[in-house]
Amino acid sequence: MAVTGHVDASERGVSAIASPGPSMMKRWFKGSSAYLYLAPTFIILAIFVYFPIVSSLRLSLNRVAPFGNQEIFVGAENYTRLLGSSEFWNTVRVSLWFMVGTVPIGIVLAVGIALLLSYPVRRLSWLHRMLIFVPVVISSAIAGVLFRLLYNPVVGFINHWLSFIGIDGPNWLTDRTFALIAVIIAVVWRQLGFNVIIALAGLQSIDDTLYEAAKVDGASAWQRIRYITLPMLSPTLFFLAVINVIISLQAFGEINILTDGGPGQATTNLVYSVFVDAFVGTSFRGLASAQAFMLAIIIMVFSFLQFRGLGKKVHYQ
Amino acid sequence: MRRKLFALFLALAMVAAACGSDDPVTDPGTETTAAPTTMEGTDDGTTDTTEAMTDDAIQIEFWHAMADDLGAVVDELVDRYNSSQDAVQVNATFQGSYDDTYNALLAAFETDTAPNIVQNFDLAAQTMFDTGRLVPAHTLMSPGDADSYLAAPRDYYSDETGMVALAFNSSTPIVYYNAEMFEAAGLDAPAPDWNFSDFQATCDALEANGVEFCVTFGTVGWFFEQILANSGGLYFNNDNGRTARATEVEFNKGQGAEVFEFLTGLIADGHAPNLGNTWSDTDSVFFAGQAAMNFDSTSGARGMQDGADFEVKTAFIPHSDSSERNGVVIGGAALWLIDSEDDAKDEAAWDFMKFMTEADQQVTWHTGTGYFPVLASLQESPPAELSTFWDENPNFVTAIEQLATTNTTNADDTINYAVLGGRAGPFPEIRRIIVEAYDAVLNGGLSAQEALDEAAAKANQALADYNAFFE
Repeated sequence: MAVTGHVDASERGVSAIASPGPSMMKRWFKGSSAYLYLAPTFIILAIFVYFPIVSSLRLSLNRVAPFGNQEIFVGAENYTRLLGSSEFWNTVRVSLWFMVGTVPIGIVLAVGIALLLSYPVRRLSWLHRMLIFVPVVISSAIAGVLFRLLYNPVVGFINHWLSFIGIDGPNWLTDRTFALIAVIIAVVWRQLGFNVIIALAGLQSIDDTLYEAAKVDGASAWQRIRYITLPMLSPTLFFLAVINVIISLQAFGEINILTDGGPGQATTNLVYSVFVDAFVGTSFRGLASAQAFMLAIIIMVFSFLQFRGLGKKVHYQ
Repeated sequence: MRRKLFALFLALAMVAAACGSDDPVTDPGTETTAAPTTMEGTDDGTTDTTEAMTDDAIQIEFWHAMADDLGAVVDELVDRYNSSQDAVQVNATFQGSYDDTYNALLAAFETDTAPNIVQNFDLAAQTMFDTGRLVPAHTLMSPGDADSYLAAPRDYYSDETGMVALAFNSSTPIVYYNAEMFEAAGLDAPAPDWNFSDFQATCDALEANGVEFCVTFGTVGWFFEQILANSGGLYFNNDNGRTARATEVEFNKGQGAEVFEFLTGLIADGHAPNLGNTWSDTDSVFFAGQAAMNFDSTSGARGMQDGADFEVKTAFIPHSDSSERNGVVIGGAALWLIDSEDDAKDEAAWDFMKFMTEADQQVTWHTGTGYFPVLASLQESPPAELSTFWDENPNFVTAIEQLATTNTTNADDTINYAVLGGRAGPFPEIRRIIVEAYDAVLNGGLSAQEALDEAAAKANQALADYNAFFE
C-alpha cells in the first residue's frame, strides 16, 4: 500500500510539470495511464479475491453436492439455517470471547514490553528485540505442536512445573474452560512480537523534546507516559486494535493443531467452522460459504465501530 | 527518487526476464501475470521433463496420501513397476492427508485435471461411489480374480455387483501393551475374546501395582466404531448402509450405549487420561511409561516397537459384556480408478493397481509399514520371507489373526454386517460428531445414552442433507 502511494505522488508531480497545456488526448492518457498502473494489482486481486468472493456468494445460495457436480439452488436457506442453529451462535460466541481474550492483553503486553525495550540497554538491544520478535516468524502450525507438548496433562511441562508449587494442573486442551484459555495464550505469544515491533516504532517516533519539556515542567515518569506517550502513541494503538481484532477473528492454525475445535465445540470459532464444513470429508460448501459471509460481515461491523468509536479519540500529529 | 524507482523497476524487469528465459516450457498463455506464472511454470516444467524421457509410454497419474516412511515405500513400489515394463509410466504424487487428497480430487474434477488413480480412505467409500467418475474394479477384473483377496477388504469396497476399489493399505485397531508392566502386575496376555469386565479387572490389577493410567486412547470416533462392531452392533440402518443407502444411524441403539459408557468411563474414572482427539499424544504417554495399554492402529506397529524402550506386545480389542466377540472392521484406504474416458489409459492404470496388490509388492508393503497383506494366498501359504518376518515380529501376526478370526458370517450363514463396517456419505462428519459426544459426557454431564442420542440427531441430519442429492 505504502509503496503505491509513493509512486502515485511522484508520478502526479512529474506529469504536472511535463504537460504544457490541457488537451483532450493528454487528459485521456493521464486518466487511463492510472488504470494501466493499477492493472497488475487489479488483475491479481480479481483472480484471487474478487472472483472467489463472487463464487462463494453463489455457493452460499446453493446446496452443493460433496463432489461439486450438483448444486441445488436454495436461496437464503443456508443463512436462515445458520441463524436458527445454536452451533452457529456458539461459533460466534467463541470468536468474540477469543477476541476479548487476545486483543486487549496482547496490546497491553506489547506496549509494556515496548516501553521497556525503548530504554536502551547499551549494545544488547538488538538481541532483546530479536528474542521478542522470533515467535512471529514461527509458523502457527509449529507453534501449535510446541504448545501441544507443553500442555499435555500427563507428560507436558506446564503441569509438571505446576506440580512443584503444589498445583494439580488442569486438562488444558480437553477441559471446556481451559481449552480456550490455552489457545489464547498460544496466539497471544505468537502475535506479541509483531505488536511489540509496531508499538516500539510508534514510541521511537515520539519527539524527545516533548519529554524534555515535560521534565523541565516537573512531570513525573507516570505523568509523562499518561500525558505524552499514550496520546502520541494513539494512532499506533488504533492500528494495532484494528489489525488484532481482524487477526483474532481469523485465528485458525493454533486451533487446528491444539484442539481441533474441541472439546465439543468449545474452541470452534467461525473460521474453524467454515473449514470443517468446507473441507473435512464430504463437504457442506454452501453452508460454509454462508458462514464465510457472516464472518466478513462481523469483521466489517467491528472495523466500522472501531473507526467511528476509537477513531475519533486518536491524536494525529 | 524517481531515478531510484526507475532503476528498481529495471532490475525487477531483468530478474523477471531471466526467470522467464530459464524455463522454456512455461505455458505462453499465462505469461502476463507474474506471481502465479512462476509457480505454474515450474510445475509444468517438471512434468514435461519426465514426459519427455518416456515419450511413448502411457502416463498414469497416481495420487496418494502416504507421508514420510510410508511414502518412501510407495515410491519404491512405483519405481519397481516403472522399471518392470516400458509401456506404462506411473507418476506418484503425495497430496497430503486423506482429507487433502480428497479435496484435491474434488478440485481436479471441476477443472478436468483428475488423476487416473487416487488413494482414498475407508470412510469416503460412499462418496467415491457417488462421484459417478469411477471405473469400478469389477468391470476390469477377470472372473474369479476377486477371490484372491481376503474377504474383509474385498467386501468392504464392494457394491452389489462386485469390487469397486482395490484395498491397498488395510489396517485394524489393536491394543498395544507394555509387557513389563503386565509382567510386574502378574498378568498374562489378554485373552482374544476379552470383554469389558476382563478389561476392567486388568486395569485394577495394573493400577494396584502402581501404574498411573491403565490405558490411553484418543477420543476419536474409530475406537467406538470398532468396539461397537466387535460387540455386534450396527452403526447405520439398512445393514450398515450395505443393502441400501443409510438413512439413519443405529449407534445409539442396542450395544451402543454400553460401548460408549465403557470408553467414556475409562476416562471419567481416571483409568485413562483425557488427551482429546489425538493419535500422537497417546503415544507420548505410552512411551513415557505413564499408561500400560494404548489403543492404536495396526499400521503403527513398527513405530510402536521402535519408539518404546520397553517390550511392546499386542492384544485384540475388547467387546461388551453382553455380546460375543465379532471381530474388527478394516480401516485404511483403497486405490480408486478414475474414469479418464480413454480405455487404454484405464487399462494401464488397472495394470498398475493389480501390480500393487501382487504378492511381492504386498510383502514389501506389509513388512515396511504394518498394513496387512490383502492377498488370501499370502496368509494361507506365506513365502519364506514373510514367515521369517512374522517370527521376528509377532505383533504383526496379532493384527492379521484378529482380522482372520473375524466372524464375517453369522451362525445362520447370513452376512455379519456389523464387521463389514458402515458405509454412508457423511461418515467423516459423523465421526466428528462422536468426538463431540465424548465431550458431552466428560464435560457436559450427559450420560452415554443421552450423548449418543444427541449425536444421532445430528448424524441423521447430516445423512438427510447428503441423501437429498440422490432423491
